[in-house]
Amino acid sequence: MEDVKYETIFCIINAGFAETVMDAAREAGAKGGTVMSGHGTANKEAEQIHKITVQSEKEIVMIVVEAKIKDEVLKAINKTAGLNSPGKGVIFSLPVSRAVGLAGNQAEEKTQE
Amino acid sequence: MDEEKQKKPRQRQKNKGVSTSPIKLELLITVVEKKKADFYADLIQSYNCNMQIKVLARGAAGLEMLDYLGLTATEKIVLFSPIRKDKRNEIMDALEEKFKSIKRGKGIAVCVPLSSVIGKQVFGFLADDERLIKE
Repeated sequence: MEDVKYETIFCIINAGFAETVMDAAREAGAKGGTVMSGHGTANKEAEQIHKITVQSEKEIVMIVVEAKIKDEVLKAINKTAGLNSPGKGVIFSLPVSRAVGLAGNQAEEKTQE
Repeated sequence: MDEEKQKKPRQRQKNKGVSTSPIKLELLITVVEKKKADFYADLIQSYNCNMQIKVLARGAAGLEMLDYLGLTATEKIVLFSPIRKDKRNEIMDALEEKFKSIKRGKGIAVCVPLSSVIGKQVFGFLADDERLIKE
């Protein structure tokens, strides 16, 4: 397994809650993010049985963070926008094998020079 | 002993049709300004990338920060491009160079490893491996 310096956090959340996610992430140390629009699908039968309507308009928030602060960011997002919140966010992270263009990267390069 | 005999054929059946390739794939995620998306898509395509998905997005920089910088539009494109792992460093170096040198062409790019792909033909297409072309 390669040495992972960064992680990409994905948060799939009800439309309109992207800012809530970003605020929580920023407080935990994230610098920025990207918001995409999506359309969720849910099990219709399960929705009927549980008498729950899943809002299908979704936003996908993508945040690249340093691996060392990943857990704090995940916890912060889960606290304010997790499944038990109105945003009903599903949050997960993926390891990054290489990253370019990040503010932290440039800072590292500058210090090396 | 009998149990072992019974387990073996089941194991064989489970692995039937599963093959691994020395070529590994990664998913390149590139976030750039909307106007520069085609340029970067063409650049990535020139490195044996046969398929890309473009998704319209917006930057999530705080409004206060945008006001401070005098910016209003934050329209972005996210490019999802499956690439060969052996081409990763070449592509990332090229992207880094373009991010630095092109006016208003800044962006970020990250690579995420892919663990599996189903279908030889699909894999051949994504990995640009001509040996797997169906005749």
